[in-house]
Amino acid sequence: MRRLLGPALTILLGAAFVALIGWLLHQQPSPAAVAVPHQGAADSHHVYLHLATYPDSMAGEHGKDGGAEPDWVSYGPTTTLNVPRHSLVTVTISQYDGGEAITNPWFARVHGTVGGSETVDGKTVTGVDPEAVGHTFTIHAAPTAQDPLFVSVPLPAVPDEAPPAAGSDYPKPIEVTFSFRTKGPGKYVWNCEFPCGDGTYAKFGGPMSTRGYMSGTLTVT
Amino acid sequence: MTVADTYQTDPVTGGPDGGIMRRLNVGTGILGGVVLALAANLLADWLAGDAVHEVDVRATATMVGWAVGFMAGLGAFTGPVRWLLGRDLTHADELFLAGKDQGEGRYFRFTTDHKVVGIQYLVLTMVMLGAGGTMAMLIRTDLISPNSGFLGPQTYNSLVGLHGLTMILATIIMVTGPFGNFVVPLMIGARDMAFPRLNALSLWLLFAMLPVLYSAAFLGGIPMGWVGYTPIADQGPAGVDSYMVAILIFAVSTAVAGANITTTILTMRARGMTWTRTPIFVYGVLASVVLALPAFPMFMAAEILLLVDRLMGGGFYIPSLGGQPWLYQNLFWLMGHPEVYVILIPAVTALMELTAVFARKPLYSFRIAVLSIIAIVGLSVTVWAHHMFASGWAPDLNGPFMLTTELISIPTGGLFLVILGTLWRGRIWATFPMMCTYAMLWNFIIGGITGIYLSDVPLDYQLHGSMFVTAHFHYTLMGAGLTGAIGALAYWFPKMTGRMLGDTPGLVSFWLVQIGFNVTFLGMFMVGLEGQPRRVVHYGASLHTGNLISTIGAYFIGVGMLVLLYDVVASWRHGKPASMNPWGAKTLEWTVPNPIPLENFAVLPVVTEDAYGYGEPVRDAPARAPAPVAAGAGPGQGPGQGGGTGEEART
Ligand code: HEM
Ligand SMILES: [Cu+2]
Ligand SMILES: [Cu+2]
Repeated sequence: MRRLLGPALTILLGAAFVALIGWLLHQQPSPAAVAVPHQGAADSHHVYLHLATYPDSMAGEHGKDGGAEPDWVSYGPTTTLNVPRHSLVTVTISQYDGGEAITNPWFARVHGTVGGSETVDGKTVTGVDPEAVGHTFTIHAAPTAQDPLFVSVPLPAVPDEAPPAAGSDYPKPIEVTFSFRTKGPGKYVWNCEFPCGDGTYAKFGGPMSTRGYMSGTLTVT
Repeated sequence: MTVADTYQTDPVTGGPDGGIMRRLNVGTGILGGVVLALAANLLADWLAGDAVHEVDVRATATMVGWAVGFMAGLGAFTGPVRWLLGRDLTHADELFLAGKDQGEGRYFRFTTDHKVVGIQYLVLTMVMLGAGGTMAMLIRTDLISPNSGFLGPQTYNSLVGLHGLTMILATIIMVTGPFGNFVVPLMIGARDMAFPRLNALSLWLLFAMLPVLYSAAFLGGIPMGWVGYTPIADQGPAGVDSYMVAILIFAVSTAVAGANITTTILTMRARGMTWTRTPIFVYGVLASVVLALPAFPMFMAAEILLLVDRLMGGGFYIPSLGGQPWLYQNLFWLMGHPEVYVILIPAVTALMELTAVFARKPLYSFRIAVLSIIAIVGLSVTVWAHHMFASGWAPDLNGPFMLTTELISIPTGGLFLVILGTLWRGRIWATFPMMCTYAMLWNFIIGGITGIYLSDVPLDYQLHGSMFVTAHFHYTLMGAGLTGAIGALAYWFPKMTGRMLGDTPGLVSFWLVQIGFNVTFLGMFMVGLEGQPRRVVHYGASLHTGNLISTIGAYFIGVGMLVLLYDVVASWRHGKPASMNPWGAKTLEWTVPNPIPLENFAVLPVVTEDAYGYGEPVRDAPARAPAPVAAGAGPGQGPGQGGGTGEEART
């Protein structure tokens, strides 16, 4: 009997220690894994942004000759966006580029916009065909003190066989419109989540990994 | 000539004995650490008061301040500083540093004696395993039902990350730390390590690391798990700074320890101990630290780049700034895969060592053992991207990495064959340490073969990120590695403590742990195959049974480990006094008396044969000559008590 006392005591003490730490951790409030965006009170502003996505760099911020990499896909007219705080932002993107199946179909759905939807050539949708995505426009916030912001919309691909529109090198664009609300001031990054870069790193190279093509910043002032 | 001799015959550098260094210990270390941490915190506040990354700068500065202050307060820098001042340590100072005549106090100082350092490492490892084990119990308790709500998702993820990191760091040091330091110098017939002060340095750096690591729990945790992947590491809370600084300290510690152990083994083996006469455990320790020497700097570099990202606005890993998260993954696994062999090889070679003793046979095919170790060391740096098959990095290289990964199982199989061959027709003495060999063979077969499954690219696409992977590496790290370390502890316990480890509680613990272990992780293979992801607190209701089984198994492990803890503590305090060579082994560490004198050997031994001369007729002439090593000089020791075999070949 006596010989069992020591081990039994050790086991009890060990279990008590585990229980103590467990109890301490159990007291810790753990925030929900995903913060639900909070819709603020009346908005002071309503602002509009107009962007476009091109199959090359001849029309964006890189100049008429396309800059250093004229063949790279690009966003235009600029990739540096500024919007006011506590505002409704309505974005229209003219999408001129073709596309393919997206690696991660989650990004073929709309996230974080007003109403959870976008309009594609006037039609309201909550997602597009994951087999034919051109690009996405995805705003992220790093989990810092600033207000969280996450908005992601897919831009459907222009069919490959679409002819150039009259007086243009590009086909007729698909018009995508959506709105989101900003909260307090902050610095955010946005990028395309469709691997549309060059061959390196599974198409995450080139325009996907160079600032000013498929990514930029959004500053809420 | 010994280290001590050098100082004795060098009158020029000697300053006066003593000084402040005699009053320093872990207490003054903690004081120094706290003071410098506060100072660094204020300084960082002043310098970087309104920088974007202020919180991280201050947290990092505070932790670095703590580590430097602790080491200074402990006296780690006394030697170099006195040397710089032209008043090098005297012979008496060196002896003081070695812990001469200081009783228990020497365990709480910057003591250079390798035996003290070995014991300190042992206790430190046990503390870390205890901390990691506590976390494991909580993880399993949370997973007892699909939606237990016991811990929230963030607490859970941080806990999983800290558990993983704690255990990895503990298993990296668990054999080369305690046994590499305590046993290896004795085993090769040396008086101490090549660089005794570096030895103490490597240990106390780890001590300084622990508060840094666990500060993560109060700074928002490490949401990215033990691997510290970006982009979460770039965005995470200040707990990530704890992770970075802890890894930096750990990398310095292993570099110092690795250089020291390597030099010791290469240059300080007894006369006559050629490479073919060097015991396999010495090879194992050497392989482990040699592999760690290039591997850990990769991890260190990865964390330095992360530090630049987080503290100074660098963008090494941030795609929108032109950086690349794959860079982190590559650097991490360039360390990460060699590291698993850093853990495994010394544990397996410890079991080889004791298997030969308990089977009373020479180690079967010593040369295959050595060649396998060399092949594993070489191949292990070529397989890292098998952890990145599913990441999208370099798809063209998946095939080659699959090939190298599968190749490595061949030399690994070599180690198996060596142990099986040694057991074959042996006269087996089934003690607790010997049982660990059997358990390792069983567990490592499962761990190794599931590793081969995972190295198959198409299959890995299915299994990556699932509990199947978790089960795989627990079979290898715990089932093989930790089991080997426990065997090593049970085997060398009599030499390290002068007392026998209780065999009955040892075997009770053995069966509890091993049965619990197999129940836990076979259950985990099951739910992994059904698709349960790692690092997610909630799981589907259909996976409940498998998880319940795992949790019950885990409780068995917990109870078994506590029985072992009891056995170790109780035997250490009042176990049966051990004779000089209770197992009748033939390696040199068993030729020194208990307790071991400060200088280990009165006269350095000369080796004339390999260490595995079992099964040969006992010769008249001494098998291994001049050990006028006072066999029986230690109190209460005598050759007559040596093991049950009557083999006293070397006296
Ligand atoms: C020496 C013993 C071994 C140890 C200690 C070990 C350890 C580990 C660890 C810790 C991981 C998971 C890392 C993580 O994602 O957190 C892992 C994954 C893996 N191991 Fe092992 N392993 C061992 C042997 C092997 C062998 C022999 C093979 C193949 C022949 C192998 C193949 C793999 C593969 C392919 C993965 C990646 C699985 C995935 O993440 O999808 N391992 N191993
Ligand atoms: Cu794109
Ligand atoms: Cu690996």
